[in-house]
Amino acid sequence: MAATTDASSTPVALTPVSVRGRRRRRRRAWGTVGHRALVVLLLVYLLAPFLWMLLYSVYPSSALQRTTPDLDPAGLTGASYGRLLSDGSFLRPMANSAIVGIATTVVCMVLGSACAYAIARFRFRGRQALLLGMLTVQAIPVIVLAVPLFILLRAFGLYDDLLGLVVTYTAFTLPLVVWMLVGFFEEVPPSLERAARIDGCSRLQILLRIAVPLAAPGMAATAILAFINSWSDFFLAKVLTSTAATTLPVKTAAFQGLFAMDYTSAATAGVITAIPVLVLALVAQKWIIHGLVEGAVKG
Amino acid sequence: MALPAVAIVVLLLGYPMGYAVYMSGYDWNDKLGTVHPFVGLQNYADLLGDQQVHAALARTLYFAAFTVLGGVVLAVLIAVLLNRRFAGRTVVRVLLLVPWAVPPVVNGIMWKLIFDGSSGIANTVLMGLGLTDSRVQWLADPTLTMNVLVFAEMWKLLPFLCLLMIAGLQGIPANVYKAARIDGASGWNQFLHITVPNLRGPIMFALIVQSMWSLKVFDTIYVLTGGSGGPAGGTTTINFLAYLTTFSNLDRGYGAALAISAMLLVFVVTLMWIALLGRRSGKDRS
Repeated sequence: MAATTDASSTPVALTPVSVRGRRRRRRRAWGTVGHRALVVLLLVYLLAPFLWMLLYSVYPSSALQRTTPDLDPAGLTGASYGRLLSDGSFLRPMANSAIVGIATTVVCMVLGSACAYAIARFRFRGRQALLLGMLTVQAIPVIVLAVPLFILLRAFGLYDDLLGLVVTYTAFTLPLVVWMLVGFFEEVPPSLERAARIDGCSRLQILLRIAVPLAAPGMAATAILAFINSWSDFFLAKVLTSTAATTLPVKTAAFQGLFAMDYTSAATAGVITAIPVLVLALVAQKWIIHGLVEGAVKG
Repeated sequence: MALPAVAIVVLLLGYPMGYAVYMSGYDWNDKLGTVHPFVGLQNYADLLGDQQVHAALARTLYFAAFTVLGGVVLAVLIAVLLNRRFAGRTVVRVLLLVPWAVPPVVNGIMWKLIFDGSSGIANTVLMGLGLTDSRVQWLADPTLTMNVLVFAEMWKLLPFLCLLMIAGLQGIPANVYKAARIDGASGWNQFLHITVPNLRGPIMFALIVQSMWSLKVFDTIYVLTGGSGGPAGGTTTINFLAYLTTFSNLDRGYGAALAISAMLLVFVVTLMWIALLGRRSGKDRS
């Protein structure tokens, strides 16, 4: 990129037009090549680490640890996937993560849309403070709340219990869900709602028949984000569960001990943990990007 | 309508928060017994003079400085790169979501596979290029491990910052650049006087949000160091020290004081960004 900047400064006025044009064209051609190269480099950076883990899950580690990694397709094996996906002690956390993720998402969406709709449509005292409070939650390190939450859940018999995780994740995810949904609801034109009101719709009907359908793509993206959040959590699940309710990230992290590491199993578990959220993120990419980013840029 | 959500958040986060403050006022170590006397602010006074805390604070700030400032600078540059028209631009932007979506635990495993001292691909590549004769023990040296941590975290956080900046760039009218070109402004001058000032909003948001996230990093440290915050405490940030104190030493009181200090640090840094940048952007608008 430096090449495009320094050449342009001095001799411009003295050079004949034709030479200038040629130079500019040549510079632009070089710029395009350089640009392509940088984009390719970026792509490699973004994808290679994950692809390398993927390779680790389907090749014996010895083949990948040679001076020249041996990627002969004959060496491909799905054995570690077969082993993990038939192992009860792996399937249980997987099911737990799915159940907790879905339940948290549903609860967050129901409570969150009501709250976000109120913030988006009504001007009430403390509205601004409420929005700010939602953002402040992002600043709280989970470690502050870990021990008290542990004590609280144990007192209610919810330690190492899926319900305990759902309740906790809901509390941590709701602020983010509300924050995103406010943005989506604010994009629904108020005039439509006014018209519905004149036609005799109740507040609830307006929310369910007008606002929700119009904000549906954004709501889907928010739901996916809520799911990704609870699916990916490691710390809370580690502190608040032991065996029965343990989740996939905790199980996956356990393959990486302090000294020894079962590379193939760790990589396989890593891929299995990542795939569902990767697929969801890519399916809803347009709206996730929109929801994550627009509010921030506008504000 | 807003009540149920607010009630849940306030109850489930507010009560534990209060309880943490309460615990931090006690000499409360579950290893030493069940008696825990009230000591007021003693825990906080202790941590101000604790060498371990000073070192952890320095590591936290090192990590945050590189991930936040480095992250924002790189994000702006990558956003400019991706804002140009080229075939496949949409695909590249979508693929930005891959690192963003990868769970932190998986991120730790990924980089462990790459930077492992004896078998990682990083060493294979470096030795193949002749850049080093012997295997670099990335995860056995405190400083190197911290830098690997910065690198690993950067991979995961960059895409979100890039998406922020790309959205910001799209808000700048193309006419502004055209006018600047006609006036003979160089690419660098256009970047400095058009791109950067117009990105002030997204940059400020990125600085605040990324500071929050960087100051409370946990999962990646845990997985990369096998839950030790090592080697030799080299990746033990304030947050991680609070974890070790609470869950390894079972020192609940001191651990709570550390955790709350970590939180205060996040608030202080956030307010610092607002004070530094918020006022200036307000002046521009009027």
